[in-house]
Amino acid sequence: MNSKVIAVHLSLCAFTSAVAEPLQFNRDIRPILSENCFACHGFDKKERKAKLRLDTAEGAYAEQDGVAAIVPGDPRASLAWELINSTAPDEVMPPPKSHKKLDDDEKALLKRWIEEGAAYQKHWAFERPVKSAGDGIDHFVRSALPSNHLKPSQEADRPTLIRRVSMGLTGLPPAIAEVDAYLADQQPGAYERMVDRYLASQHFGEEMARHWLDVARYGDTHGMHLDNERQTFAFRDWVVESFNNNLPFYQFTVEQLAGDLLPEPTQSQLVATGFNRCNVTTGEGGSIAKEWIFRYAVERASTTAQAWLGLTAECAVCHDHKYDPITAKDFYSLYAFFYSNADPALDGNALLTKPVVKVKPPGHDAKMAAFAERESAVKKEIEDLAATIKYEDPAEKDPKPPVAETEHVWFEDSFPQGAKVGTSVTPQEFVSEPVASGTKSVKVKGRGMAQIYYEEGAKELVVPVSGKFFLHVYNDPKDPAEEVMIQFNTGAWAHRAIWGKDIIQWGKAGTGERFPAGDLPAAGQWVKLEFDAASVGLAAGAKVKGFAFTVHGGAAYFDKMGVIGSTDPSADPSQSFAAWKNALAKKERDALPKEDAGLLRHYLAKVYNGTQETFAPLDAKLAKVNEERKALDSATPSSFIFRDLAKPRDAFVMTRGEYDSPGEKVVPNTPAVLPPLKKAGEHGNRLDLARWIVAPENPLTARVAVNRFWQQMFGVGLVESSHDFGTQGSMPTHPELLDWLAVTFVENGWDMKGLMRLLVTSDTFRQQSAAPSESWSADPGNQWLSRGPRFRLDAEQIRDQALFVSGLIKLQMGGKGVNPYQPPNIWEPVGFGGSNTRVYRRGNGADLYRRTIYTFIKRTAPHPLMDNFDMPNREQSCIRRDRTNTPLQALQLMNDVQHYEAARAFAAQILAADPNTPARIEFAYRRALARGADAEEVAMISQFVDGQLARYREAPEEAKKAINFGDLKPLESVDEIELAAWTLAANLILNLDEAVMRN
Amino acid sequence: MNPLFEQQLLQTRRQFFGDTGIRLGGIALASLLASQDRSRAGSVVHPSLSDLPHFAGKAKSIIYLHMNGGPSQLDTWDYKPDLHKQFDKALPKDFLGDRITTMTSGQGTFPVAPSKYTFTQHGQSGRRVSELLPHTAKIVDDIAVVKSVYTNAINHDPACTFVMTGSEVPGKPSMGSWVSYGLGAETNDLPAFVSLVPNFPKGSNAQALYSRMWGSGFLPGKYSGVVLRPGADPVLYLDNPPGVSPADRRAMLDTLGKLNQRGFAKFGDPDIQTRISQYEMAYRMQSSVPELTDLSQESKAIKNLYGERVETPGSFTRSALLARRLVERGVRMVQILHRGWDSHGNLPSELGNQCLDTDQACAALVTDLKQRGMLEDTLVIWGGEFGRTVYCQGKLTRERYGRDHHPRNFCMWLAGGGIKGGVEIGETDEFSYNPVSDKVHINEINATILHCLGINHEQFAYRYQGLDQRLTGVEPMNVIKKILA
Repeated sequence: MNSKVIAVHLSLCAFTSAVAEPLQFNRDIRPILSENCFACHGFDKKERKAKLRLDTAEGAYAEQDGVAAIVPGDPRASLAWELINSTAPDEVMPPPKSHKKLDDDEKALLKRWIEEGAAYQKHWAFERPVKSAGDGIDHFVRSALPSNHLKPSQEADRPTLIRRVSMGLTGLPPAIAEVDAYLADQQPGAYERMVDRYLASQHFGEEMARHWLDVARYGDTHGMHLDNERQTFAFRDWVVESFNNNLPFYQFTVEQLAGDLLPEPTQSQLVATGFNRCNVTTGEGGSIAKEWIFRYAVERASTTAQAWLGLTAECAVCHDHKYDPITAKDFYSLYAFFYSNADPALDGNALLTKPVVKVKPPGHDAKMAAFAERESAVKKEIEDLAATIKYEDPAEKDPKPPVAETEHVWFEDSFPQGAKVGTSVTPQEFVSEPVASGTKSVKVKGRGMAQIYYEEGAKELVVPVSGKFFLHVYNDPKDPAEEVMIQFNTGAWAHRAIWGKDIIQWGKAGTGERFPAGDLPAAGQWVKLEFDAASVGLAAGAKVKGFAFTVHGGAAYFDKMGVIGSTDPSADPSQSFAAWKNALAKKERDALPKEDAGLLRHYLAKVYNGTQETFAPLDAKLAKVNEERKALDSATPSSFIFRDLAKPRDAFVMTRGEYDSPGEKVVPNTPAVLPPLKKAGEHGNRLDLARWIVAPENPLTARVAVNRFWQQMFGVGLVESSHDFGTQGSMPTHPELLDWLAVTFVENGWDMKGLMRLLVTSDTFRQQSAAPSESWSADPGNQWLSRGPRFRLDAEQIRDQALFVSGLIKLQMGGKGVNPYQPPNIWEPVGFGGSNTRVYRRGNGADLYRRTIYTFIKRTAPHPLMDNFDMPNREQSCIRRDRTNTPLQALQLMNDVQHYEAARAFAAQILAADPNTPARIEFAYRRALARGADAEEVAMISQFVDGQLARYREAPEEAKKAINFGDLKPLESVDEIELAAWTLAANLILNLDEAVMRN
Repeated sequence: MNPLFEQQLLQTRRQFFGDTGIRLGGIALASLLASQDRSRAGSVVHPSLSDLPHFAGKAKSIIYLHMNGGPSQLDTWDYKPDLHKQFDKALPKDFLGDRITTMTSGQGTFPVAPSKYTFTQHGQSGRRVSELLPHTAKIVDDIAVVKSVYTNAINHDPACTFVMTGSEVPGKPSMGSWVSYGLGAETNDLPAFVSLVPNFPKGSNAQALYSRMWGSGFLPGKYSGVVLRPGADPVLYLDNPPGVSPADRRAMLDTLGKLNQRGFAKFGDPDIQTRISQYEMAYRMQSSVPELTDLSQESKAIKNLYGERVETPGSFTRSALLARRLVERGVRMVQILHRGWDSHGNLPSELGNQCLDTDQACAALVTDLKQRGMLEDTLVIWGGEFGRTVYCQGKLTRERYGRDHHPRNFCMWLAGGGIKGGVEIGETDEFSYNPVSDKVHINEINATILHCLGINHEQFAYRYQGLDQRLTGVEPMNVIKKILA
């Protein structure tokens, strides 16, 4: 409601009542001045006209050239009053070009205020809240009713109350058993006991969290350009848990804003800092880094100010705030808290943009410790085994052993230990016939190119001095390959020897990348092929990470492959400990055991080629431990966290809000109009900021918080503009109540559950919402609370209710967002080609029926449910949702497969509940609305059902279609005609105004 | 004025705008009551604000053809014959400035790439048009070309947000939302604001669209554009479930309506009446939308005018014809968002296909509207979110070149309702790098659009977060008088 209109309204009441109470500046006058005058005569120095400010008494009373704008008690002597009433276009205030105009009522109020002494008040929200006389919600609400000519309503009936409480606290309707239990409880305190059951439910956290996630602008994608997936759902789950654990609001605040700066922060405190990583970020090529660092800090400072202080600080990005006493310097000082962010300007379109934290489930550390234990046990076995090996260094023999030709076999019956073998085109097989050596060969076959290869997993193979490679090939006589190839990987696949036709278009001809080693081997016999290592570009000492056997246009068998090289045992690192030790680079050496005995054991276990076979089983055991550990590790999600750079960035006032126009330098600080910041160190940091926000002397935080919770339960805040507590925001309808709640909240240790309990157990909350039309026309928004709250359910509640009532709901909590039913072409037409969220891949089974808080949020193409039912797309913080009423909502609730399938599951339950139509309708009403149906309702719905039964009896094939919409299969035993008719009836009931409203 | 009267007004406002906190500067209270009477009568589903239009505007509706990705002004409208002499020469440093995307800022050189296309003169105005737009060339006397539009953003996401919401920061309402909020619509059977998202040529470099381009931002959600989708289901959830006939739905709605009326008698909440009427609107849309998309009554001549792809669902051509049909039925704003105009690399091939996909239908739309006498009160706008650089991105030959983003000047055209045909304003320098006359900010285009609708853009405000928010932002913006009829 327009604060101006409220003011006028109040004054009208004042005029009509017998005794006019004195005007109050904040309530009656400030809204008029703020709307019409402050833009030019307010706080913003640059815009100020005629050196006059009207937002302070000093400014307004000051004489210039012998006249003052306002002379207390004397409108005629006040220049402002004269100009307001002027008829000259160049003189009248506000000037015509401002498009502002004072109406007669506003003028009358101003005149009266001057006559009464033109007293000023500091803006109410910047004064610390104090408890005034009176106690409890109902006291303050009741005392405001008479002056508004309103009377309180009686208490709502129990079914209405339990649904209101259950929906409000858990976002789910009550189960029939819960309703029955409540109806049966005739002892005093039944209502409170019912409330306490819902407060204790784990679904309390989910319902509370979704409101805060709007504030936190939580989404599952980055939000800009590619709009790729972002993994930070642990933050969402943290919010749910925090409400369920009833984390005090001060702690809730400090952990989100500065959890990383707490001493030895826990994992959960780090996850909490994800709050300020939830903003949209870009990874768009071409972006200017400086600009985005600037924007993120602006966004985070604005969101923090908005969420906790109810201040629309971003106005001061470009200039001093026109209405609120927040200068550009104030804003950039706040921004400075966030400007040294460690996260990058461009998110890299990555799932995880650093800094992130691993979100370890309970028991994770124990599992990792077990891996470490197993690892050290195997390592000890290796050490022990190495200690038993007798080794003589050839370099220390006298005489030294001669230089010898040595054969190193790289492939025999299998690829080297640990190799991750892959194939192209088709799977390739190891066979036992034909075989050139050992027990197996590998057959490689393809109509085009085909290969078997590995490039990771095994130890590197070292090419010896004067290396000459050999391999055995049997070209299949029935289907001979046209080309045979061997390839080596040394980081890249850049070494190839080929025999036969040069068909495969890889590598540059005339280099080692594509070396023609000879003719195609004759078919039907084993041929030993040989080539110099140098001819494929492999020098002595080259490290081979993998190799491949390749054919084209046929089949060939490959067997025993290796390299023959000349070796000087006393100079060969794979034979001589001394030679190896001397060749170690410093970095390598530093990582190894210091003393020689340990170093030798390492050598024998890992390097010496005489013992590698001995250690192979233990190596395999070690590899397995590491693989399992890696699997567990990669299955553990991470979450975005907020950190500062080690060296902070200097922050400046950015002239006109332009990222490349730095002005005055600023340090982290809070707005001057509010209490001063207490710094723990030399410079303020986010922890100081967070503590300042929840300090008892901060006039805003507790008020803003209790008002938001009030809005959540009553539909509208005591300050209607719950996002704006500044001078442009609405005045509180019940200022004393707001302050009483704020002070009580802080006194009770910022106990959020306690506050919710206080709200819902008030008589005010328990009033019935049904009222005669005079009540609705007297107070359409129910700001004076003469009725119980009645408003449309939110998007999530509507879907969750349908799923709950139908019994389809899956109440599993937390984890990665899921993709339920969604019409085709929501993501695809808007998605960028390279985006990993371009194609919507619907989930199955439980994914279709999880609570809506767990639906994956793609911010540039939100789910139509969110779009249609006013859920924000989470691009920016949202403190208060709209509640619209549109035809698209009607279409969705009637026709969406999610809702129609739920209606069918609901219908199946209705059929099972009772064979009689009236009893079925009674059941359906109790399940959906918590109340029974009256006779007229039973009659109307019975008549409808009868009509549908007749219609489907005539067209049973239509009935069949109607009950097969959606993944859920109908029970075979069910009467299809009945189910189809009752499905539409269930659809009707779920579409009742009463069903989509909290009554 | 008495308190009861005052309270009735409040009630009206609440019903009227939904449950939201609406603060609009300077609405005359009496006229609010008038709009209440209109909505009560049930004759107007989308009423206008009572103080709108501010004056008699020439345009009643808007068709906005948005070429998403940034069409090259140098290869379409901004004729620079002398650039051939500059082929492959470096763009002088004085021109370059420092706000260059990092896609080309790392390039050592900025060689000039003249357009490979021939520009010939057309119409009585003798307007030069690129050979890529042979059909649009035939309507040059009906359109006003602005060659000097500029924007603040250099990347797609912020620039698209800017052109459609008047700000590069997400969260503001789209133009269509503003317009349907202000003016409502003249139909009871269709939404006030409709978006079409057609297919686009394969192989083009397609940038994303963002739902905020038709979203309602901080305005109530009912002002969001309704996306008419290309496939079988043009409005989401329009079709009844299988096995549910229109008669079944009618029967269900009859019972639902009666039960909801009883609910109204019980609760007294006026919102229940709104819900009843929205369910009825939904039912009407179930027939009005299929009627809209059924082109069987369109003559062969009209189909030929638009081109053969008019029969292809999801084509730009079909979307253009649908746009006319929507406006004909009283829809306030139609937006066609055509993707694929981001020609960084092989511009001639990509841009050629983009023009081929859209040129005939754009011209046909204007011609069709004119033939029916609808062009007088329908404002058509064509443009992208920015232009493209004169210097080449990537490999440069006479035949093949690419162009980076260029926010400093680009071309848009406007036609119909309130716009003077055959006009061209805004010269650019010899490199089409900066405007030298009649510089037009993108929000001045928006101010002009509002002006054509009879809206003073400075007075058309919505109070949100302490500011009188406007489509055209807080900086002063002027209506482009030179192109007004």
